[in-house]
This record gives sequence, structure tokens and C-alpha cells, in this order.
Amino acid sequence: MKTAASAMSPEQARVRRIRRERRNRIVRHAVLLAWTGFIAFPIYWMVMTSFKDSGEWVTWPPHWVPHAPTLHNYAQIFAFSSIDPSLSRQAAEQAFTIWKGLGDSLLVCTTAALLALLLGTFLAYSISRFNVGGKYFRHTILTIRMIPPIVIAISILIYYAILIPYATGAVFGARISMFDTYIGLILIYTVTTLPFVIWMMLTFIDEVPYTLEHAARLMGAGRFTVIRRVVLPLVASGMVVTFLFVFILNWAEFLLALTLTHPEVTTLTVLLNKFQSASEGRLYGPQAAIGTMITIPVVVLGILIQKHLVKGFSFGTIRR
Amino acid sequence: MAQISARAADLPSGRTAGQGAGRGLARWLASDRVFPKIPYVLVEGLIIVTILIPFILTIYISLLRWRANRPFETATFSGLSNYEVVLTDSLFWASVGRTFYFAGTAVAVELVVGFVLAMLVHQCTRSKKLYTTIILVPMMIVPIVVGYNFSMIYVDSGPLNQLLAPFLEPFGIDPRIRWLSHPVAAQFAIIIADIWQWTSLTFLIFLSGFSALPAQLINAARVMGATPWQIFWRIQFPLLKPAILIAVIIRSMEALKMFDPVVLLTFGGPGTSTQTVAYFLWEQVWVFNKFSFGAAASIVLLVMFSVFIYFGIYLLVSQRATVDRRAA
Repeated sequence: MKTAASAMSPEQARVRRIRRERRNRIVRHAVLLAWTGFIAFPIYWMVMTSFKDSGEWVTWPPHWVPHAPTLHNYAQIFAFSSIDPSLSRQAAEQAFTIWKGLGDSLLVCTTAALLALLLGTFLAYSISRFNVGGKYFRHTILTIRMIPPIVIAISILIYYAILIPYATGAVFGARISMFDTYIGLILIYTVTTLPFVIWMMLTFIDEVPYTLEHAARLMGAGRFTVIRRVVLPLVASGMVVTFLFVFILNWAEFLLALTLTHPEVTTLTVLLNKFQSASEGRLYGPQAAIGTMITIPVVVLGILIQKHLVKGFSFGTIRR
Repeated sequence: MAQISARAADLPSGRTAGQGAGRGLARWLASDRVFPKIPYVLVEGLIIVTILIPFILTIYISLLRWRANRPFETATFSGLSNYEVVLTDSLFWASVGRTFYFAGTAVAVELVVGFVLAMLVHQCTRSKKLYTTIILVPMMIVPIVVGYNFSMIYVDSGPLNQLLAPFLEPFGIDPRIRWLSHPVAAQFAIIIADIWQWTSLTFLIFLSGFSALPAQLINAARVMGATPWQIFWRIQFPLLKPAILIAVIIRSMEALKMFDPVVLLTFGGPGTSTQTVAYFLWEQVWVFNKFSFGAAASIVLLVMFSVFIYFGIYLLVSQRATVDRRAA
């Protein structure tokens, strides 16, 4: 290598280097574009299917572009229940409206994310400033996230469906079940996302210099004033990011929603799954329309907080 | 310090008798001794109520002989017999093995592909941001939608088979293959769906790792005549080891929970060839109503996983401590 290099004139070496760099760039873009294609393929297919009418959902050869594009699927999922239920086909269609699932998802995910954010931020502040719970508390809290959700689901099912009705039956004389209720699902979402909130907020709060708070306290500000005027403004953006992150997690959650609710509370993920096992054959079109509708908001939110995603997923173990 | 500030806050307004109690309470809550404990107590309370009590109850149920389609009063105590059934259940062990197989294969591919992609994107200059955004999109898509998308693609007269048709038809093979009806193909279908979605996460972790590499070190090596190959193996790769470790922990913990694509794509079939342990337990409890069996199996599963959980947390913690120390 060394002899070859010394045998080349500087001009030759330069040409060779430029040529190698160009080749590298072509290979790089080829690989990245290939992966982009792989990523885009299923998404493209879903979006295209959502614009196809029932005759085009499954054909051989498949239609890559809808030959007769239609908004029928969207009209169907966004329909208000005004169709005559005496017709079975239309009655089935009526069940595909998205409103109930959308409302439930928004309610459950927002409430749970807010609750987790409030509790988690408060606790993260205490951990950061006062070392509450001892040295290892911030680590033990991770255990909740590591337990397989199916284990949590089974114990929560038994709890909601047996213990709470028994306890309320004994105390109040009326059996109250937490199964298939908003509160039940919100509580469990709050607990399962708390570790994320605590760890993310810790990274934000640890960045606020304690000396600032100290100065404010010495100048006579009360504790709540310090939190409201000094700490909150500095971590507000972090709280927004954490909220969005947790919201996305809740929005995508499926196992707990599937196992702890039926038939009253229906989140969007459960709704989409219902069509999968629909008795009268799968309705690909409405499914694709719902899938597109579920995806758009979270992808937009996700791109907004893209910079912080790694912090959330890696529990702050990697920083840019 | 607390006393000083409290007195300072009191000074401007004279205290009246009616406000006394409320102020006293507020000051007690705001004191250094009590204030930090408030969220702690709240969160601990929430965890005890929603995780610990249900968990103890699960242990109790696992010791009973009871099916959910009969009243709870008819349950009888049966000792450890449920555990015996679980531990001798070949389907349970098969599903555990399969889960590890799925997770291992998927995570291995995700690590390699994610690493290569991150390396390539890191070398880009102008198009870096665009590629990053594109590659991160799958991660943000709801897993259930990913499952749906792939179920659409694997349909026997679907786009995948059309793409493969030019390679199959010359050999007289009907290209309309039912991927999800073949045991091995269905397993790979699920693994591919997982890879599609979660390579973005390993990519993200590695890209952050690459961006955090000290540029001076690499420039110095280049000036001293190191080849790109040497720079990669001697400098970049060793510095990226923590990122690799974290990617392995986080991805394998998540992959072992695999459930959504199984429900959406195959329902555990054909036969039991794609049942992961989460799906197996779900079916036992929610379809067959075998609560006691499910409770015992989930305890067994938790005990088995606790080793991984412990090591995962231990490694994450030591990594986080290193990061914090470096930042401080």
C-alpha cells in the first residue's frame, strides 16, 4: 500500500480519492434509497387501499394505483350513525364508524398522559433535588416497564374483575367492577408510562441549575413560587415533549386495551383489530382508512419531537 | 433556609386567625421534610394499588383450582398443582422457546441493519436530516397498523407475490403463495414485520452514538494516516459499544413482549407455529378462561424474565451513571 502510494503522483492520488468518494456516495444512496423503498412499501399500500372500492381490495394482479379512486371508505368510517339499521349490510357498515374509538382513545390517552406527566414530573423533581426514595428508586421504577405487559394484564384482570367487585360489595353493598371502564384503563396506562415520564423529566430537571432555585429561595420566594417561576418555565418544553411521547405510547398501546376492555370502552387500536376478525370477511378498505387516520397524527407528533425520541426510548442513557 | 424563607413570606401580610390553620398546613406541606415526600407517597400508593396488590392476588389465584366460567365461591385450594401443570405443559415451553427465537432473530437483524444505516446516514451531509426523518417513520406508526399493513401485503394475491411472480412463474410455480398459512413462512412474516418497524429504533440509538463520537479524535487519526477501516475498528466501534449494549437491552426487552403482530397477522397459527408466550397466555386466559393456569404461568414467566429484567436494569443504570458523570 505504502509503495503504491509513493509510486503515484499527487494528481493521480487525488483523482483516485475523488473517484472512491463518488463510488462511496453512490453505494450509500443506493442502500439508503432501497431501505426507504422497503419502509414506504407497506405505508404506500395502506394509503392506496384506503382509496379503493371493495372490488379492488384484493385482485390478481393487484392494482398498485386504484383504478377508480373513491372516498367511500373514509365516508364510511366518518359516517354518523344515520344508516337504517334494518339492512344487515349497512348495519355492519355502521359499526365501522371511527367516532367512538377516536373519542375513547383521545380521552384515555390524554388523561393518562396528563396524570403520568403531573405525578412523574413532581416525583422527578423530588428525586433530583431531594434524592427521595433513596439511591436506587429511579432504577426500581424501571421494573414496571420491564415486566411483560401480559403478566400485568392477567393480574389486573383478576384484580378488576374479582377483588374490586368483592371489596366494594363487602364495603358498600354494591359490586362495582373496574373492568371495561375509563378509570380502569387510565389508571393502568398512567402507571405503565410513569417510568418513561420520570426518566425523561429527570434528564430535563437535572439540567436546571440548582443554584438558581437556591438564589430565589434566599431572596425570599416560597417553594411554590420557586417552582412556578423558576423551575416550570425552564422545564416546560421538556414537559411538552414528555407529554407527547407518552401520548404516542398510549395511542399505540394494544395489549392492555384489548384485554381490559370489552365491549364498552373501545380505543382505536382495539377497533382496528375488531375488523380483522370480522365475521363477514375482512373489510380491507375501511381498515386501511382507519389505519391511515390513526397513523397521521402520531407520525406528525413523532416528527415534531424527533430530537428527543432517543432520550425517551433509551431512558436518557444516550445523549446527543 | 426554609425557616428564613417562611418568615420572609409571612412578613408582608399580617396573619389573621381564620387563615392560621390553612397557612400552617401549607407551610407544613412546603417544608423540606414533607414536600419531597408528597409525590413519592402518591406514586408509591398508585403502584401498590395497581401493581402490587394485583400481583399478590395473582399469586393467590394461582394456588386455586378455578375457572372463570364458574362462580368464584366454588374455587378450591389446590396448592402448587397449577404450577405443576404449567411446568409440564409442552405448549407453554414451546411458546417460550419461540419467543426467544423470534426476539433473537429480529433483534440480531435490527442491530446489524440499524448499525449500517446509521453509519451511512452519519456520512451524509446534505441529506442527513431527510434520511433520518424517513427512517424513523416506522417507529412512530402504531404497531397494530403495521400488523394490518403486512397482513395486506402477504395476501395470496397481494403485492409481494406480484413482485415475486417473475422469479416464480418460469419454474411453473403459482405465484399466489399463502405466506401466512405456512408455519415457517408465517414465522418469518412476523419477524419481518418486527424488523420493519423496530430497525428505526436501533438506527436512532446508533445514530445518536455516531453523532456523539469525538470528531477531533477521528480527525487526528486521519491526519496520522489511519485508513477508514482502521478508524472504524480501532476508534469508532469501541466507542460505540455502550450504544450497542443499550440497543440490545432495550430491543430484546421489547421483542420478548411480542404480541400485536401475532394477533394481527396469524392468530398464533397455523397450528401453534407463531404463538409467542404473550399470545399463548392471552389465549389461555381470555379464550379458554383458564384463570388459575394463566396466573401460575404468568408468575413462572415473571420469575424467568426477572433475570433479564435485573441485568437489563443493572446495565442501563450503570450506563446512565456514566452519561451523567460525563455531563456533570
